[in-house]
Amino acid sequence: MANVAFLILALLTVLGAVITVSVRNAVHASLGLVGTLLSVAGLYATMNASFLSAVQVIVYAGAIMVLFLFVIMLLDANRPISGKDPLPYITEIAAIGSSLMAAAFVVVAFSYKDPKPLAEAAASLRNGAPGPIGETLLTRFLLPFEAVSILLLVAVVGSVALVQRPVQQPDPAMEAEGARARDKREIQA
Amino acid sequence: MVSTGSYLALSGILFAIGMYGVLTRRTAVMVFLSVELMLNAANLSLVAFARAWGDLTAQTAVFIVMTLAAAEVAIGLAIIVAIFRKRETTNVDDLAAMKG
Repeated sequence: MANVAFLILALLTVLGAVITVSVRNAVHASLGLVGTLLSVAGLYATMNASFLSAVQVIVYAGAIMVLFLFVIMLLDANRPISGKDPLPYITEIAAIGSSLMAAAFVVVAFSYKDPKPLAEAAASLRNGAPGPIGETLLTRFLLPFEAVSILLLVAVVGSVALVQRPVQQPDPAMEAEGARARDKREIQA
Repeated sequence: MVSTGSYLALSGILFAIGMYGVLTRRTAVMVFLSVELMLNAANLSLVAFARAWGDLTAQTAVFIVMTLAAAEVAIGLAIIVAIFRKRETTNVDDLAAMKG
């Protein structure tokens, strides 16, 4: 049962990833990534990480992907890029390189021996519920937690500062002209 | 139960696909999407190791990585929008002003 669930989720994950890197249309590619993110959320659920599974759906498949889709539509990134690839054979070289890397990863991964029986280890995870995660976050991870809060503040302020339009500075000459005209009107009145 | 090795293998394949995307995609936004794939592969292997050792520390680390990814996307997309306003393109081959 668990094996079948893993196989289906793994296939969906890889399928979404392949769509993400190969489709021409940017919106379709990001929808492929949404598929991958949702399948990874399912994989988290099969690994006793219920809180992370929920966060993956809310933050990744929800917030981050909405941001991506907004920018794709804002920039009209759907336009296919024409012209010659500046590097010859880059697609073939990248394909060979990444398949070799994937093969190496798979060989190393299957040589990994579990340090203790999985059922025994899973019991101490307490199902990865929000409570136990929060306990770890606010005790052992207190300093990173605070650092991340500062980082998020910097990111929010930084992204607003990056995209705002430059403020129009009033021209001093025009300013003086305006003041003179105002004085004239006051004298006449 | 599915062995940790299968999850790690899937994570490796996902990482390799993400790397292929980073190498071949030519729009900045699409390169970013592929980077997200690689981040997810790393998160997946962290959660797999958390289950193997029965330790919640790795799951908490994944939570922090997700927060970092959100911050990174916000800043990165803002930079891409700013570049697009100035140069009318997000093609990574045209943005070679800092080439050594």
